[in-house]
Amino acid sequence: MTAATVSGTQDTSANRKPKSKLRRTLTSDTSARVTFYVAVIVGWQLVAWQVERMPAPWETLQFIYTELTGGTHGGVVTGEFWEHFLATLQRFSIGLAVGFVLGVILGLAIGSIRFVRSLLNDVLLVFLALPAVIWAFLTVMWFGLGWQAPVYTVILASIPFVAVNVAQGVRSVSPELHLMSDAFQVPRSRRLRNLMLPAITGYLFTGLRFAVIIGWNAVLLAEWFGASNGVGWRSRFWYDAARYRGFLGWVIVFIVFIFVLDGFVLRPLQRHAFRWRERGDDESDLSLDDVVTTGI
Amino acid sequence: MTQATTSLEATAAGPTTSRWWRIGGLVLGWVGFVLIWGLTSRFILDEFVLPGPAKVGAAMWDIVVQGEFIDDFAASISKTFIGFALGALMAVPIGYSMGRRRYWKAFFHDGVVGAGSIPGITYAVLALVIFGTGYLGPVLAVAMISLPYIALSVAEGVEGVDINLINMSQAFKRAPSDIIRQVMVPSIMPFVFAGVRLAFAIAWKVEALTEVFGSSNGVGFQIRYAFQAFSITNVIAWTLLFILFMLLIERGLAKIEAHVFRWRIWEATA
Repeated sequence: MTAATVSGTQDTSANRKPKSKLRRTLTSDTSARVTFYVAVIVGWQLVAWQVERMPAPWETLQFIYTELTGGTHGGVVTGEFWEHFLATLQRFSIGLAVGFVLGVILGLAIGSIRFVRSLLNDVLLVFLALPAVIWAFLTVMWFGLGWQAPVYTVILASIPFVAVNVAQGVRSVSPELHLMSDAFQVPRSRRLRNLMLPAITGYLFTGLRFAVIIGWNAVLLAEWFGASNGVGWRSRFWYDAARYRGFLGWVIVFIVFIFVLDGFVLRPLQRHAFRWRERGDDESDLSLDDVVTTGI
Repeated sequence: MTQATTSLEATAAGPTTSRWWRIGGLVLGWVGFVLIWGLTSRFILDEFVLPGPAKVGAAMWDIVVQGEFIDDFAASISKTFIGFALGALMAVPIGYSMGRRRYWKAFFHDGVVGAGSIPGITYAVLALVIFGTGYLGPVLAVAMISLPYIALSVAEGVEGVDINLINMSQAFKRAPSDIIRQVMVPSIMPFVFAGVRLAFAIAWKVEALTEVFGSSNGVGFQIRYAFQAFSITNVIAWTLLFILFMLLIERGLAKIEAHVFRWRIWEATA
């Protein structure tokens, strides 16, 4: 590393010669992102050439098309998509709804009652660390194959993450504001609406985002090990049949699903709910806080 | 770091006045937990459905006494650390260029941000398809999952370096190596530590998950084996042993972090 690279920190155009239009287009943010996706696909193709079991991008895309349109995969096997996708979506949403509500209740209790907090501090730590696959195994052994294992796995895996975030939201209200509300005899209902709710909302959305990402992984795992339909089951079906393009096609499907849900719904919601928070001018859109979700 | 919470650190009461309250609650919490667990398994469910604490405890004791667990733990931990080191090695240049150049930031943005929402099952099974059931699969799964977290924290750190300090150092004709060692590294390190801690919490879970899907040794393999033998007791016993061990390592990392940055007083009050 030389002094030149160290001084290059500032990318201001003041002492730089003006760039040509082509160069500006090529180095723009959009083209950088497009280049990234192209690089990913090229890398995938390279791996596919090297590794025999890895299907190429084009094959995988063709497979997804056949699966979506119900065409034939060769032999008697035909494409099935919506049956599995909707089954998983149903289990996922039921589990998510129940897990979120229970998590919020637990989080409120932990956040506002000191005794509960000191009781559950360490126990919750273990539950946070518990990988979803353990819940998948236990529920499959408890309930056998069927809808219960995936639903209960989602519930059990998401509760601790929702609870911790809600608890933190409750704790983020400063004690001074509570004291002042006491002094001015602010009624409980108004305190809830004007003091607690605005403080918690952002954390609620963060908790929801955690629950969605963790729940999605959980439902897939539970279906992989104990279901007879659904996205997880279908990807395992292709995996066991050693038809890796089928397996990879489904992986692409469930990644795209969560990408779209997270990128276009959850992250904007979370940002919106936290918009009152002061962000420094120079703070970029890259922050560990927004990204860490631990969907394991 | 205030928003994303995967631990209760922030909610734990700080002042010493509540210390006894805290310890009391901790002990009570565990006793209560074990009690509820035991009563549920005895009276509400069945011993077979949910083995009680005594049974699981005995199974854990067996695992430890038999001594075979050392091989599996060593396998899992070495895979975790090697993969982690590999991920960090690749992450540092990526994070550095992201922090310094707008182009690279935009380039890696979607990959780094999206990595947190990809289900862990993807890493596990892809590693299996590409590398088979050997040693390499879990190692590379760990590397892949820890890379974005560390890269992101390095980028955050590099962006946060005070440019005025660098300019001043240059004005006073400090050698580039001095600038790197005394300006860059100290301001980047806190971010790197935070990233390492977060990445590690995720890394060992992915490692275990990859072993569950396909491996011939390691803790994940043992959990899978217990599942296939339909032994609920052993699934819980292996899991608890592994979690307790990893939480201890995580706590050790946090202790090291607190020690290294004890000069940053404002962190303690923030």
